[in-house]
Amino acid sequence: MELRVIEKEPTMISIEIAGEDHTFMNVLKGALLESEGITAATYDVNPEQSGGQTDPVLTIKTEEGVDALDALEDGAQRVVDKSDSFREAFEAAA
Amino acid sequence: MQDYEVEFVERGDREARFLVRGITPAFANGIRRAMIADVPTFSIDQLRVVENSSVMFDEQIGLRLGLVPLTTPEGEFEIGDEVTLALDVEGPSREETTETVTAYSGDIVSSDELVRPADDNIPIIDLKAGQRLEVEADAVLDHGREHAKHQGGVAVGYRHLQQVEVVGDKGEFADDEPHILRGVIEDDGELIATDEFDNDLTERYPDKELAVEDVPNAFVFHVETDGSMTVEDLVVRAVDSLRDRADELRESVQL
Amino acid sequence: MSYKCSRCKRDVELDEYGGVRCPYCGHRVLLKERSRDIKDVDVR
Repeated sequence: MELRVIEKEPTMISIEIAGEDHTFMNVLKGALLESEGITAATYDVNPEQSGGQTDPVLTIKTEEGVDALDALEDGAQRVVDKSDSFREAFEAAA
Repeated sequence: MQDYEVEFVERGDREARFLVRGITPAFANGIRRAMIADVPTFSIDQLRVVENSSVMFDEQIGLRLGLVPLTTPEGEFEIGDEVTLALDVEGPSREETTETVTAYSGDIVSSDELVRPADDNIPIIDLKAGQRLEVEADAVLDHGREHAKHQGGVAVGYRHLQQVEVVGDKGEFADDEPHILRGVIEDDGELIATDEFDNDLTERYPDKELAVEDVPNAFVFHVETDGSMTVEDLVVRAVDSLRDRADELRESVQL
Repeated sequence: MSYKCSRCKRDVELDEYGGVRCPYCGHRVLLKERSRDIKDVDVR
């Protein structure tokens, strides 16, 4: 996955995630907002026709003492866990 | 990690309805979108027309062939992989009494038994006496987001599970209008598809005052595939595609 | 270029001097035949 950090402070990160769309970004944003220590998480995507920046830009703000990049890592792990847990439940029912 | 609860309401190979409890709208929508656009399937992408004396242009035949669903097994192929198929059908000979011979998807011969038409009865074209269609085609594995012919899920969506509660009797002079509801309702823990009572709650609860509410974080998925894989495969592959991306992101961030 | 005469149905090869005319029956309506080449088509 191609990442480009646009802005980085201890409690804030703005990062471009190449090649992704709403499918993944909204799941990730949802997972981030459920996590402890995160005060804000959002992403922005421009339409194809706009030209220029069309890859989504994810922005995270965290509480004092929580590193934003670590929070992103935890958020991604959360999506992995959710997926595993969903798959397990689905296969048990199927 | 929170646990999900999955329960099937209707189950078939190609069409199913299942309830998931404890799922956020964001995750539910991610799975839905992944089923439509991110699970790859094989589809004919290139043709070599040896003979086409039918009444349609090569491109029209190509378009029809592209829309024939092909079975797509898990783990055997990568994006961009190709499988060659062939179709050779001739119209009736002049002595025969039949007027036309129809070329069906079932006439397509595949070089790989894992990738073949999901249905045998899709008509491609009618051929009259003296007409012939002979083509060789390459099917390629790609995502639904590249072209709709690569979509595995054809009717994928979800609705909130709805809780129906009887709160009292309807007044004696109340309007007896139908109370239309679609999806799946929960009544005393029992799951009932609304088509069982003709989608009209007054059929099931005559003369009752009802309270209908969405159950939070409980979604009933309706999934229909084009036959390139089963519903179960489609769902699992969609979830795995989200998982793989999250895992990739986590690893990239660690560096 | 290969053509077919629309009247006598015979195959006709045209060259640049002969004009548009079937050498067998003199008919002036010729139909162009599909090339025997294998045609590549992109399905997009």
